[in-house]
Amino acid sequence: MAMTPSRARGLLLTPAGLWYAALLLLPLAVVLIFSFGERSPIGGYAPGFTFAQYANLPARFAAFRNTLTLAPIGTLAALLIAYPLAYFLAVKVTPKWKTLLLVLVIVPFWTSILIRSYAWIFLLGGKGIPALLAHLGLEDIRLLNTPFAVLVGIVYGYLPLMVFPIYVALEKLDKRLLEASADLGTPPWRSFLQITLPLSMPGVLTGCMLVFILLMGEFLIPAILGGGKVFFVGNALVDLFLQSRNWAFGSAVAVALVVVMLVVVALYSRAVKRFGATRDDTGLM
Amino acid sequence: MLDALAATGKTMQQDQQMSNSPDKTIASDSVAEFIGTTKRFGSITAADGLSLRIRRGEFLSFLGPSGCGKTTALRMLAGFERPTEGDVLIDGSNVSGLPAHRRPVNMVFQHYALFPHMNVAQNVGYGLRQRRPRMPKAEIAQKVAKALGTVRLSDFSDRRIWELSGGQQQRVALARAIVNEPKILLLDEPMAALDAKLRGEMQRELLALQRSLGITFVLVTHDQEEALAMSDRICIMGNGRIAQVGTPGDLYDRPRSRYVADFVGKANILTAEIIETRDKLVTVRLRSGALVAVQQNPDDSRAQADIAIRPEALSLAAPDAPLPVATATLPARVTHRTFLGDHTEYLLEADDLGTLQVNVPQQAERVSGGHDVGARVHVLWPEGTGLVLAADD
Amino acid sequence: MKDDNKPISRKAFMQELRSYRNGSITRRHFMGVTGLGTAMAVMGGTMPAFLPSRARAQEIGDRVVLATWPNYHDPANFDKFAEMTGAYSQVNVFGSNEEMLAKIQAGGSGWDVFVPTNYAIPTYVDADLIEPLDLSKIPNYDAAAFDPRFAEAGTINGTVYAVPKNWGTTGIAFNSDKTGGVVDSWKTFFDGARDQFDGRVMVHDYQLTTIGNALVYHGFSFNSVDPAELAQAEKLLIDVKPHLYAISSDYQPAMRNGDAWLTMCWTGDGKQMHTDIPEIGFALGKEGGEIWSDYYAIPKDAPHKEAAYALINFLLDPEVNKAEALAHGYPVADSRTNAMLPEELLNDPILYPAAEELDALEFGAAVTLTDPNRAELMARFKSA
Repeated sequence: MAMTPSRARGLLLTPAGLWYAALLLLPLAVVLIFSFGERSPIGGYAPGFTFAQYANLPARFAAFRNTLTLAPIGTLAALLIAYPLAYFLAVKVTPKWKTLLLVLVIVPFWTSILIRSYAWIFLLGGKGIPALLAHLGLEDIRLLNTPFAVLVGIVYGYLPLMVFPIYVALEKLDKRLLEASADLGTPPWRSFLQITLPLSMPGVLTGCMLVFILLMGEFLIPAILGGGKVFFVGNALVDLFLQSRNWAFGSAVAVALVVVMLVVVALYSRAVKRFGATRDDTGLM
Repeated sequence: MLDALAATGKTMQQDQQMSNSPDKTIASDSVAEFIGTTKRFGSITAADGLSLRIRRGEFLSFLGPSGCGKTTALRMLAGFERPTEGDVLIDGSNVSGLPAHRRPVNMVFQHYALFPHMNVAQNVGYGLRQRRPRMPKAEIAQKVAKALGTVRLSDFSDRRIWELSGGQQQRVALARAIVNEPKILLLDEPMAALDAKLRGEMQRELLALQRSLGITFVLVTHDQEEALAMSDRICIMGNGRIAQVGTPGDLYDRPRSRYVADFVGKANILTAEIIETRDKLVTVRLRSGALVAVQQNPDDSRAQADIAIRPEALSLAAPDAPLPVATATLPARVTHRTFLGDHTEYLLEADDLGTLQVNVPQQAERVSGGHDVGARVHVLWPEGTGLVLAADD
Repeated sequence: MKDDNKPISRKAFMQELRSYRNGSITRRHFMGVTGLGTAMAVMGGTMPAFLPSRARAQEIGDRVVLATWPNYHDPANFDKFAEMTGAYSQVNVFGSNEEMLAKIQAGGSGWDVFVPTNYAIPTYVDADLIEPLDLSKIPNYDAAAFDPRFAEAGTINGTVYAVPKNWGTTGIAFNSDKTGGVVDSWKTFFDGARDQFDGRVMVHDYQLTTIGNALVYHGFSFNSVDPAELAQAEKLLIDVKPHLYAISSDYQPAMRNGDAWLTMCWTGDGKQMHTDIPEIGFALGKEGGEIWSDYYAIPKDAPHKEAAYALINFLLDPEVNKAEALAHGYPVADSRTNAMLPEELLNDPILYPAAEELDALEFGAAVTLTDPNRAELMARFKSA
């Protein structure tokens, strides 16, 4: 007996569905249930049904504000540094050097972000860059434990995530389009603005989305390079789960974070649709 | 005026004024010129001392196999490659050092290179939008509409590029180029990606367009039929050099070299001994000993040469048939016979001479009743057909 | 100092990085800050030098799992324990009592022995998470040898749930070259932070001590949960925050390289820094502050209970404990062990301050650890 196609497809999707349920929906459901519960007197979770945790969300307003300020700035800064790098790698570098330079971009990822962030403590600390600046007559510049240090750490930590999508987009950009643009009377820099940049937008959007989403949940870099003075939602979550062990409130904060991210992703998909014109099967070969 | 091109708009204008003056008739006659132009990529010489004048308003094709240098020639004209030696002139001014975006030529790319993030109208208007000072939007829209009308795509202006068929994309590419009213329209194998039927249609459309616009078209192709069908003149290239330039008829009837004879149409090429030259006719002795009279190759004084004769210039007769006058006869045996509709292609083993191809028109074939494979026949070679080829380089 | 302005050399960098990774890490450790503690078993298991004999292995099993603080044991002792009993020790280190509590609360920690601090014990007992100890299995524990101050938190309602390990204080570490002398009051600490020590002061990323000492500044109890008193502490902390160098329990690196001049500091860290850099001193706040003691306890669901008892008994052996103390440098509560320690340790004012100095200090209370208002206050302070 032959299965109907839709039934066959349903069966084929079962493993994926189970995977999805187990790895994504189940933990999310637990968090959702917790968020309506209460903190037990000694910490942890006590069952219940209350909106008290959500009502208390304004208590973490500052954390959300800090995150929603630094995450876009960090994403933008990463983009501004990553784009020229990706462009250089994809367009300017000969194939011989390309592999080597790409590996150099990845290599730092082989070390824990913790260790790499600690390296920045020394670079930004009193005996690092500020000491060099002091030699140049700029006395008493504080870099470590400032929002700037967090920004540096963020850009450094997430740079490869931004570089690679842009690199891929630029790499597959048909160079003949640039010849066509030049042929139609466009000087190189205007060709970049009118052809290269718009056609690399999918890579830019992917990179921004990756970095932005991960930044929204970041806690390590603010804790290490912000000296505990820069407080993200991620830090609030760590404290709520591991210090005050207020799991119910922590879950509500986590749900709120997910909601914020969903809004961002929704805006993102709209942006993608706008640039969705870029498809590969356009006769570019 | 050949000074290394600071050819800004100003000098270009000056050049145009000069070319309009009576003593610049040559400049006005040729829209572009290669002067000893050589292009080397490392140790490879892609174009080797090209010298060629492209006439204003003509349809010129660069024809040759891949790697012959035809694309390099086109790209030097477009400004994508800079000559290693020699110069490229457009409208009388030296453009060798002028980047592509400052040359008054436009190209239709092999795979069209349409901008995927723009719709049809935006693609077509792209060149006009680059003009400085800016062209008014209304004027752009009007020119785009006209260009789209010319390529019969008026209803497609809002379409995305990927929604179009290959032929439609090709016409967009064409419109995108001609809307700028270039001095020369460059076409880089524009029909390579089209199927055979569409290609024929497109060829006729292109020709009609060229006649109506009066723009010089320079086409690069490896397809000899395409070149023969469309071109006013063909520049046959091989090994980075120009092998011969001429009208399709010239090239077909009077190939200068074995390379050209082989590349354009089919030809029987035979080695022969030159006996005597009289009144532009040369009497040669073939290897079999037969004497035939062929067209002379100017300034040739060799004792031995290749001669070429087209398969349709020869005919067949039964051994017992009466021989026409002024015709040489080569005894042969039929080895293959292929019916091709309008003619039949015979392959024969000529005695002491080797393989010959003879194409017999269907009408003649009907009259004679044809010749079976294995049959003995006479190959008839009319006096004065065929010609002596120059030595290949 | 001119040294401060020299860029760090590559060699110095590597040394400092290495010290981060193996040595001079604070007790509550950056892992506590980052929540990575539970994910990292830094010390791992120490394997016995030879295979355990079967007979002994059957008595207590072949392993024991210990959850403790970083740099709190002499690794050689674990080898010796394996030699004696055939059970090797798997050691997990943690950043905070809260983390330990979370792990045990969640169940299935797999721990046999862990090291809670005094104020955490009532919470474990209330939640029925730890085992009343069978002292007959810990003959090396002699209650008479311990100062009751450091032992009494282990006994609740007459039942012994935990036996004492080490004790210590939370005071002030200062770089006297920069501060111009000893800093021994929370008044100077918090006022100086906004004045002559602007940008050079660190407080713990830990509500218990940071809020506690801010309360002590105002003359309130270290353990206060009174809303009005907490409000004053909060005002102080938020006022000070822009002037702080950092809010971090990982203060040794910044103190060592001179970026920070003043920090809240646990005894062991103070001792370690002073030993390496004499100008870094350690003092107790004269208004008060925290005194604490750590205990050994056994979770209810410990999988190797016999091994747990054996390990606790082994570590309380005065000879073994002496080796421990020499390795970690925290004050010992066991007078039998103290009798064996070198004079200069016992006379060290950082480790064993004069008894009257301790009088002003308070032990943290259970409610101080779990009070939700203090947790929220800390969050407001950090996000301000």
